[in-house]
Amino acid sequence: METLQIEFKTIEEFNVISDVFSQAITGELIGMANFALLTETIDDPHEKMEAVEHANSERMHAEGFMAYAKKTGLKVNINMHGEYWGNVHKQFLSYAQKNDFIACLIIQEVILESFAISMYTDVGNALGGEAGKLFLSIAEEEKEHLEHSSHLLQAELKKDATAFIKKFEEVHFSCMTILAQFSATTDLRGHCGVCNGDCMKGSLHHIGLNIINLRGNALALYAQALDNIGIPGEKSIVWIAQLPA
Amino acid sequence: MDSTASSLDFAVIGHQDSWQNVSNFVNGLRTGEQEKLSIEKIKNIYSFIPARDLFKVKVKSQTGSEINGVYIETFIDPDKLDSQSLRTNISKVMNAISHSKKMGAKMVALGGFTSIVLEGNLDSFYTDDTKFTTGNTLTAAYIVKGLEKAAIKHGINLSECTILIVGATGDIGMACTNYLKNRAKKLLLSARNTMQLEKLSQQLIQDNITIKYSTNLQELVSDADMIICVASSTDIKLSNCKKNVLICDAGYPKNLETKIETDTDFNIFHGGMGQVSCGFNFSPDYSNTIYQYPVPHIIHGCILEAMVLAFENKYENYSAGKGNITMDSIEEIYNLSLKHGISIAPFYNSKGIC
Repeated sequence: METLQIEFKTIEEFNVISDVFSQAITGELIGMANFALLTETIDDPHEKMEAVEHANSERMHAEGFMAYAKKTGLKVNINMHGEYWGNVHKQFLSYAQKNDFIACLIIQEVILESFAISMYTDVGNALGGEAGKLFLSIAEEEKEHLEHSSHLLQAELKKDATAFIKKFEEVHFSCMTILAQFSATTDLRGHCGVCNGDCMKGSLHHIGLNIINLRGNALALYAQALDNIGIPGEKSIVWIAQLPA
Repeated sequence: MDSTASSLDFAVIGHQDSWQNVSNFVNGLRTGEQEKLSIEKIKNIYSFIPARDLFKVKVKSQTGSEINGVYIETFIDPDKLDSQSLRTNISKVMNAISHSKKMGAKMVALGGFTSIVLEGNLDSFYTDDTKFTTGNTLTAAYIVKGLEKAAIKHGINLSECTILIVGATGDIGMACTNYLKNRAKKLLLSARNTMQLEKLSQQLIQDNITIKYSTNLQELVSDADMIICVASSTDIKLSNCKKNVLICDAGYPKNLETKIETDTDFNIFHGGMGQVSCGFNFSPDYSNTIYQYPVPHIIHGCILEAMVLAFENKYENYSAGKGNITMDSIEEIYNLSLKHGISIAPFYNSKGIC
């Protein structure tokens, strides 16, 4: 408990930072598992090796978060089968089983990475110090994954725009719906199974954050990612407007 | 994007002026099975959305030509159309401008509040292939010529009238002032910025124009036979108006009717608007949610200016800067609009045709 008194101003701050790390570690492990599955969907040996490398990168991110949590005595809860993370992974798995590399790429490197980059950046700036630096450096690395996927998906769009946009729309609603429910001001599908106690969203103000800005910034980055890939604005606005809120 | 680039004659950058409009639009995008989102929930998301193209526009001229454009929404918070949010709003407009360039638009209209960017620092706009206009010249033309038309309708002799211009030091306000200075008996000028108002007023006094000016609107209202409002109506209240005063509401949002505290009758119409006689199409069609007017094919003058310039293949920064609108340019753009079958909108207000 000595460490706790040095590192954290209040028990509320300790609790919410514990939950933030729990979510980050769980998310990274989901990413690791997704990239590992992704390797099965890829024929190109170079792309296959890159997916393995990405899986390892997510593992190292998880380890980085875990090391900090251990050092500072945070109460970490990892649950890859909770209501939201578990369902996101199930969606990924369903596309991986169909060997649908493009759908898997959209889920992992566009949808999940957009949320990770944006939320890590906001959390990093809010926490400051060593924890803040850790979040910001991992956000930088995740940006590379997003950029990597943008180039691949731009090429897919050029091949057959109608089919690609139809697929993207399907993946958007199957996965973004879960993230939209997860990041709504109140959990729309119940407790996430990761936070130690009640939902952390009501306690984010203890570290200078609020869920409205976190969610808004994440959706904004996702929308920009869609723009970069070349999804027409008139389509993406409908996709965003139809999400749960 | 190359195929779009070659055929995109114009783009319109705009914003919504009320949360009710935003709500109509967002809920209009949701399917019948989805719950309607409350304005509070929409507010939590809306302003975070980056600028994007919402729909394509195809416009026909009475000359037979056809042009293609796109509407780009800035997602500016309708409650923040004021100077306090200037930095955020300018950043949103600049994002929309980047989007319009990326789409290869030849001409871009900066509609409504977004024109503030083009009224400021112009240097960065002169090197672009894409040309920009605030659309203020045609808006001003429709306001002043609409007022003349309304005066005839109500049997009012303009040369015997005292006309109050609210927002007189803005780009459109100055254009209206200069147009009306030799046509009305007296001008009453109101603006928030004391220095700019005094500068404009001193110029007019030197030209022997009969004027009165004040930053306090209430000192002027009771003398006005006609009122043109081209300012943001957020902080405006009109009380002690003359009986049957004729009011042209050309500001943002157009809700001056709710700001008038008077027991006497008044005639109000929404000014600065035009109508396209040969029509236009939106794709997807959002005319039932964000473009609702009592008669078909009504559009803001600022947007119509970009369309007229595109019809004319006149790709230049037509209305730019502040105080540059000349009487010649008002006549030129107005006559060009008529050539393409675009004219002053029928008189209407929030209750319908008037």
